[in-house]
Amino acid sequence: MVVYSFYIFDRHAECIYKRRWLPRPVSTSGSKSSRPTSEASAPATNAPVLLGQSARTTDDDAKLIFGTVFSLRNMVRKMGGEDDNFVTYKTSQYKLHYYETPTNIKFVMLTDIKSPSMRVALQQIYINLYVEYVVKNPLSPVEHPGGVGVNNELFEESLEQFVTRVLS
Amino acid sequence: MTVFSLIIINKAGGLIYQREFQPGLRKLSTNDYLVLAGTFHGVHAITRTITPKLPLLAPTAISSTPTSASSNLASPSGTSTPMTTTTTAAATTPSVSATSYTYPIPGVPATGLESLETDKFRLTCFQTLTGTKFLLFTDPHMANIEVVMKKIYEFYADFVMKNPFYQLEMPVRCEAFDRNLNGWLRGRT
Repeated sequence: MVVYSFYIFDRHAECIYKRRWLPRPVSTSGSKSSRPTSEASAPATNAPVLLGQSARTTDDDAKLIFGTVFSLRNMVRKMGGEDDNFVTYKTSQYKLHYYETPTNIKFVMLTDIKSPSMRVALQQIYINLYVEYVVKNPLSPVEHPGGVGVNNELFEESLEQFVTRVLS
Repeated sequence: MTVFSLIIINKAGGLIYQREFQPGLRKLSTNDYLVLAGTFHGVHAITRTITPKLPLLAPTAISSTPTSASSNLASPSGTSTPMTTTTTAAATTPSVSATSYTYPIPGVPATGLESLETDKFRLTCFQTLTGTKFLLFTDPHMANIEVVMKKIYEFYADFVMKNPFYQLEMPVRCEAFDRNLNGWLRGRT
């Protein structure tokens, strides 16, 4: 199974962490694994600035994903009741998994369509990684505007390990 | 197996049909259903655009040479997959690095949301070639949704599209469609 990208949104609808994994260039992305966000994919998205749709940056992607997830969540709550939660959706090309904590932090992961339900995995990322390395970090602020406090080494390293070892 | 309800959305995002077959989901007002249809129409389009794009490595390595444009042009036609590459733009402006990408599953066109799972229900969306969307709300563990969807499409074709008084893109008010759909779904449970 392949993980394409991972996003965390805080309760102010801001993307506080994003990371993309590109399956093809294994050697290059592995060497710069400690970099915070989508550095590995930057050359690919920045190069064709003139080329319409592909000029969309990772920032815009994060906003689009938040909008999608937000609308779907509200739709599901309207139909299924306040305690209903949307878990995953699937298109012909990818699958999006969603987990929301009681404090309204949203974890989103995009994987290939053959992957099983990732609800437990996202919950583990929250409990074992986010809470341990971000929330319990005494130097980390309470809120994370612009991703401050989330992009620390321990969290990123262990997220990398979790995705490469546990999920694949 | 439980089919909760069916919604049909026309190609402009307007609600043209809504029926509840079995209780289980909350009832919404007509206005809320209209909003829901419009929202889903928009979200469906966005879910297609956020499909992950995987860069193809080969063209980027030989970007600035003039031969890259032609080789890049040749590759999609050779593989005959409907990849949305940037070949046309690369051919007109060869100076731009010929970055191309492929979808995770090459050869399969990217679609919008096809099925959505929640704790209480599963939403299956089927989009016809003309852009009409059928939204089926079912039990999350129900199997063979495709069969139900296909049958509903068949009823739609037979009793709505073949109805001479039906105006395209307008709300569906065809008694025969309702009757047959209800009868068939009741027979299945």
